Amino acid sequence: MAVPAVAPRRLEGLDRALPVWVAAALALVFLMGLPLGWLAWMSVSGESGFTFRHYEKVVADPALRRALWNTVVMAFWVGLASVAVGAPLAWLTARTDVPGRGLIRALVLASFVTPPFLGAFAWVMLAGPNAGLLNRLWRSATGAEAPLLNIFSMPGLIFVVTIYTFPYVYIMVANTLALIASDLEEAGAILGAGRLWVALTITLPMVLPALASGFILALLQALALFGSPAILALPAGFHTVTTQIWSLFQFPPKVEMAAAFSLPLFLATALLLAAQKRLLGRRGYAAVGGKGGARRVIALGRWRLPALAACLAVMACAIFLPYGILAKAAFSRAWAQPLTWSNLTLKNFTFTFFEYSATQAAIVNTLELGVLTATVGAGLVALLAYVTSRRLVIGHQVIAFFALAPVVIPGVVLAVALFIAYTRPPFLLYGTLWILFIAYLTKEMPVGYAQADATFRGIPTELEDAGRILGAGRFRVLRDVTAPLARSGIIAAWCFVFIGVIRELSASIILFTPSTKVMSVVLFDLKEEGQFGAIAVLGLVMLALTFATVALVQAVLGRDVLGARD
Amino acid sequence: MPGVSLRALTKRYGDTAAVERLSLDVRPGELVALLGPSGCGKTTTLRLVAGFLQPEAGEIWVGDRRLSAPGAVTPPERRRMAMIFQSYALWPHMTVAQNVGYGLRFQRALARAERAKRVAEMLRVVQLAGYEGRYPGELSGGQQQRVAVARALVVEPEILLLDEPLSNLDANLREEMRVEIRRLHEAFGITTLYVTHDQAEAMVISDRIAVIQGGRVAQVGTADELFDTPRSRFVAEFIGKTNLVDAVAVAPDTVERGGLRLRVGAAGLAPGARVTLSIRPHLIAPVAVTETGSNVLGGTVRRASFLGDAMDYEIEIAASDVVLRVTAPPAPRLRAGEAVRVRIEPDACLPLVDPGAAPSSEAT
Repeated sequence: MAVPAVAPRRLEGLDRALPVWVAAALALVFLMGLPLGWLAWMSVSGESGFTFRHYEKVVADPALRRALWNTVVMAFWVGLASVAVGAPLAWLTARTDVPGRGLIRALVLASFVTPPFLGAFAWVMLAGPNAGLLNRLWRSATGAEAPLLNIFSMPGLIFVVTIYTFPYVYIMVANTLALIASDLEEAGAILGAGRLWVALTITLPMVLPALASGFILALLQALALFGSPAILALPAGFHTVTTQIWSLFQFPPKVEMAAAFSLPLFLATALLLAAQKRLLGRRGYAAVGGKGGARRVIALGRWRLPALAACLAVMACAIFLPYGILAKAAFSRAWAQPLTWSNLTLKNFTFTFFEYSATQAAIVNTLELGVLTATVGAGLVALLAYVTSRRLVIGHQVIAFFALAPVVIPGVVLAVALFIAYTRPPFLLYGTLWILFIAYLTKEMPVGYAQADATFRGIPTELEDAGRILGAGRFRVLRDVTAPLARSGIIAAWCFVFIGVIRELSASIILFTPSTKVMSVVLFDLKEEGQFGAIAVLGLVMLALTFATVALVQAVLGRDVLGARD
Repeated sequence: MPGVSLRALTKRYGDTAAVERLSLDVRPGELVALLGPSGCGKTTTLRLVAGFLQPEAGEIWVGDRRLSAPGAVTPPERRRMAMIFQSYALWPHMTVAQNVGYGLRFQRALARAERAKRVAEMLRVVQLAGYEGRYPGELSGGQQQRVAVARALVVEPEILLLDEPLSNLDANLREEMRVEIRRLHEAFGITTLYVTHDQAEAMVISDRIAVIQGGRVAQVGTADELFDTPRSRFVAEFIGKTNLVDAVAVAPDTVERGGLRLRVGAAGLAPGARVTLSIRPHLIAPVAVTETGSNVLGGTVRRASFLGDAMDYEIEIAASDVVLRVTAPPAPRLRAGEAVRVRIEPDACLPLVDPGAAPSSEAT
């Protein structure tokens, strides 16, 4: 009443629990600060002290400049294509009577959680220029010599990245559309505006911030991606920034160069995210945030089935075809051959699990790291989000900043930073699972923190105040009131971190050692050996784990994952 | 049963003071309403008393215990208070019985059976016997309100704090609960601070009202005192409707504004001084157009609204820029545009002691 709800309440919670909050905050700062400090230092340090030599070399090297340009081209087109695919899909499922809306939403979710590098593997099998299934079908159908599709190309890369990136745009737009009450549109219609005019002058401007912000998110995803470019761009003979940084780590490693080259990626990400924040902070979007009134469903009429067909075509590219070819490859002796009885086998499974030496250890490592990171991560983000949402310590804004900061650190850059920080005393962690643990914990922190923060913000402070005034101390209230109410939200945070860890490739690929391989790294090794059957098997295991976790989230939260993220 | 004493409390948010040198004494067993518009600092004051906030200056005493002072704040859980929140703040994962019994868990002297007995007894008092196993989500707004009341009273607090507890109820239920809360206060006699922005609510429920303006106490008194003798423009307007007339004293008991000349009840005005009069609309009586004498003014009806049990007029006073709101019986009915005369008894013209800044409009 007298004080706006946002008014700072710092210091009010000063009590015996203070050391706990402070320790959590310090752990966070340490986690972020040490590697990034080393990264910055390494990029400007030479044998004789401070130098800009590495930066000069980066700028001067035409190969590095080309990689930078390739990345810009790829990310830009991925952003545009994601908007072109994601926005109409969001509008169709949110506002129209297109059949199977629930199914389409579920498929978008599936695309969202599919590790992009698995999709890239699948598309190698579908559209590789020689053995690709679609190309063979094309040749046998037309008698042509030349392949129809070549996935090992810039357009191929853009395509494969887009089909797993458009969900970011979809989420932003669908969630915004869900908040715009139809009466806003009807208010336009009653004044005499036609349907198209309403869409252009009212609906579009209201979703524009969401569109732009989705575009930026998609762009960021593409910038940071390592797997798909490594699988598709390297055979095509070109680099992106991420693959270039990775190759700088191949023997002989040029760590200083990698550090200097990491900074443009880091800065670009930071700038783009700042832009996205500004977009969402604008007045237009805030007006959308009100109470959602009734939403009228737009009848598509004779366009219903064509619209459905278009949606399913997108899903065929993202889900049906890739999953199909992975399943086929997993169960056949030769994935390129037709699926006949003689071609059916379980040999890929025995090979993957029992004969290929690295798999078992990798699965164990991945699960260990997944459970450990998710558990420690969920605990940490719960503490941090509680501290920040309840403003328990001075500088809680700084904690929130640090918890979300890893968003601006692409996996590869983070890995370079961690490599530098933990290959030297006092923290010799390179070669152990701990460095991967720290990498994952840092990388997944923002997702988990955002979820935990939303959870605590959803619990009114008054519920805790009511306990305090009746005689319960802060910890007691935390146990009796806050924890039971936050439980499902924190379990969801656990799941988000877990899903992130089991699919992580871009940091792992730089930080692994032969004894600390994880599933994604083994998949990458298998690609080098051309073992597509084993890739398919391991890929399916990864997908099964992912979808089991997603199902758990849905059961716990009572809604799907897409709505939970923003 | 101790009282509460707030001594020059100050609470700042950045550069703006939400509460500024606010002082107030609540006597043992008394119910005092903190009344004011939103943003006036009343809820901040209540949260300072509860110990959720720490004051930058000033002290809070309950009986002989000093609970708050800058840098020395007793945490809420050790204040022996209870609070009823605007949102009720019932715990959705606990049953009615668990909600109500929660505070008793911290009264170590109580045996488990005794606690259960106290909960059952309190639920009976608030007419919720039989609802022990329900969850808050399964109750109506009024029932949730009663649970919140029971949860606060069952611990037998020294001080009870209420933060706009009725603002989420619909109009009928709100009137019912006003009476109910007053009844419970008379039954339990707990020293109570009650925050509200609704003057009718404050008048029904409280022993005394503290009108809060800009983080300070503008005036404290019973409802009658505040209504009959408001000290300031703000209080006069906030407690009931009134006409405020800025005038100049021409004699110890007479003021003038243009052609308007009124004798006032209080003598002792300094001639030439600026005076603000508060005249309640129901103390202005339309009289026959033939009537003359002092304090009888001629004018024109500018607007006439029928309110069922009364008429609400706006009457433009002749030869002045003053427009008066008048509440009169429905008959005889005056029409807009009609010439009219009104009489205002000198005692109805109250010069404000401390008028405060003049608002933009003439009458309210």
